Amino acid sequence: MINEILNSITFIYPELAVSIFLLIIVLVDLVFHKDKKYIPYISLAGLVITGILVLNQIGITHFAFVPQLSAVKKYGMMTIDPFGSYFKLLVVVTSILIIFFTIASEEVIDLKERLGEFHALIYGMILGMLVMISASDLILIYLSLELLSLSSYVLAGFLKLRERSSEASLKYVIYGSVSSGLMLFGISIIYGLTGSTNLYVINSLIQGPQINLFTLSFSSILMFVGIGYKISAAPFHFWTPDVYEGAPISITAYLSVASKAAGFALLIRFIQTGFTSFISEDGYWTLIAVFDWQALLIAISILTMTLGNFSALWQDNLKRMLAYSSIAHAGYILLGIAVLSNQGLIAVLIYFFVYMLMNIGAFYVVMLISNKTGSENIDDYDGLGAKAPFLGVALAIFLISLTGLPPTAGFIAKLYLFIALIDANMIVVAIIALLNTVVSLYYYVRVLKHMYLTKSEREQENITPSIGSLVYLLVLLIPILFFGIYFTPIVEFARSCVSLLGI
Amino acid sequence: MNTIPMEYYLLISAFMFSVGVTGVLIRRNAIVVFMCIELMLNSANLALVTFSSFLGDPAGQVFVFFVMTVAAAEAAVGLAIIIAIFRNKLTVNIDEINIFKW
Amino acid sequence: MLTEFGKIFIFLLLAIGFVGIALFAAKLIRPHRPTKEKLLIYECGENVEGSPWVKFNIRFYVVALIFLIFDVEVVLLFPWALTYQEFGFYGFLVGVIFLLILGLGMAYEWRKGDLNWDRTKPNIPELSKILTNKNVSNVKIDEQIKES
Repeated sequence: MINEILNSITFIYPELAVSIFLLIIVLVDLVFHKDKKYIPYISLAGLVITGILVLNQIGITHFAFVPQLSAVKKYGMMTIDPFGSYFKLLVVVTSILIIFFTIASEEVIDLKERLGEFHALIYGMILGMLVMISASDLILIYLSLELLSLSSYVLAGFLKLRERSSEASLKYVIYGSVSSGLMLFGISIIYGLTGSTNLYVINSLIQGPQINLFTLSFSSILMFVGIGYKISAAPFHFWTPDVYEGAPISITAYLSVASKAAGFALLIRFIQTGFTSFISEDGYWTLIAVFDWQALLIAISILTMTLGNFSALWQDNLKRMLAYSSIAHAGYILLGIAVLSNQGLIAVLIYFFVYMLMNIGAFYVVMLISNKTGSENIDDYDGLGAKAPFLGVALAIFLISLTGLPPTAGFIAKLYLFIALIDANMIVVAIIALLNTVVSLYYYVRVLKHMYLTKSEREQENITPSIGSLVYLLVLLIPILFFGIYFTPIVEFARSCVSLLGI
Repeated sequence: MNTIPMEYYLLISAFMFSVGVTGVLIRRNAIVVFMCIELMLNSANLALVTFSSFLGDPAGQVFVFFVMTVAAAEAAVGLAIIIAIFRNKLTVNIDEINIFKW
Repeated sequence: MLTEFGKIFIFLLLAIGFVGIALFAAKLIRPHRPTKEKLLIYECGENVEGSPWVKFNIRFYVVALIFLIFDVEVVLLFPWALTYQEFGFYGFLVGVIFLLILGLGMAYEWRKGDLNWDRTKPNIPELSKILTNKNVSNVKIDEQIKES
């Protein structure tokens, strides 16, 4: 038993590194509480180390923390597999980008005294996400989800003197607690039905004939509420625009990419290890005939992207518009899961990589402009194309990529998604998604229209970004343009990371 | 020796859960809403302990310990946020906390 | 044969009986000399009369929150205490690490000043020419009794 635990620890080095650096940040914050300007660099160093540890794990497939009690088969509480490593890498890279983001953001620079807490809470979120991605036990799933949520509640309301920030935080905490309460009730019912909290054991038990189908469906839906709130799927998305608008921009960008990625990883793992009986040669998953996940996911994803896109049409605040656009993107990604095939999974992995680059980029430009003008309103973007040529072009490329038009990587992501849909004979769904993309074109182009075609009524000074910001934007822009033309590397990488630790 | 059947515990748990959900939906005071959320979590706890005891499996009881800790942390974060919003708006009525609209 | 509920019922009867007998016995034995101060309900130093919606010092909430978290986290030590001996030194180490992290949280609160009570400076009454310091305090106490 003790050997198993000691052995398992070697498989959770990334999580351990994050925990240790979390403690280091708190300690440094306490000991040197006069001078806080080193804290961002400490957290960067921690993330780089974590990233290297995650890179070392790519390709490893292993169960960690196998309880000695389960006599028949050895299933662990955590699963280390290429799929999980891909998402962990994504989370760590996003976190590194976000730390650079906060270094440039006026809102965060103004915190001064509370910088230590800010970074410690970001580390709490990272720890929650990393554990959530590889958790294959309901206890661990619930705990990591809560760790992620609790840290992000506080971060959303971190600008406590700003009324909007507090209100966003309150809404977030109420919606979040209710949905996690529903999820916990679902978990308790699943536990009562099967007598186990391990997804693999649950999988083998619900294949038996004596399972009460109604109860199982009910508890599955309750579970989905908890996950759906994290990925802001349609009926549970009400918090998203408010929180994204009220939170500091860096946190908004972080929530829209990293915490969504972790939620999706959890959903995929939950469906695949909990409800799939086998995977055929050509990569299609056959679900256990207890609950029709495919119908639920398709319905939710269509609802999500339609609501997201149509609500985004009349938003004047850019942060809020990007929030609705991120809801719509969650809908597209859900479609990739609803295909229930390895091909759909590859599409999801590619989509997330591209989504990370373009979404953080768009938020970064919004942040730079609001640093200068103090506003995120679309009317203040009038004539910005002339005042800030580089920022204008950068934002244009990010928005075009978010729409999914050809010379950018956003197109490749959507292309793979549609290929997966058509391959699975889901033509109608593909057409609905395509129409949604057309709708989304309108509100993205509206921003461009304001920037390039509308003359500003007020005199504005030119906005010239600093060298650091230029480099940051180039780091995001070059991959978007490069992978838009030559996309074999990410596709190959995603293909190699698609395998989950099987049944 | 007849014991209390499992259904009784589960019925109480379901009842508590319904009270919690209803309270969250209809009450307007943020603190009462948090109390209702605690009720939801505790109803799940009751169900977990019941199952754990009737299945003879300790995992459920360990889970309850963790849920209790999480519930306390959630209450602490929630109360801290309520204090922050009270300082800004001088109210904890959810209907009056409404800058954000569609 | 008693059911489980029957046992609870007997327990209830015993509990009620015990309290009743104890109160009755105390009534017989104790001296009866009520004063105003004694009749006041004791409630943690707060005034008990008036509207229940008085504003507490916000410090109470902060201390309560801190207490709540540490109090509940100690619950996690119970399962550990039951099993750590099986794991020898490593089992012990896990508990130590857990307590160290809790200690770090405590140190954090201490350093950030959340445990300081921020005492308001005592409002020393200006000595009037007639009354000595001692008299002032006596007068104050008398006033408080009258008010309550």
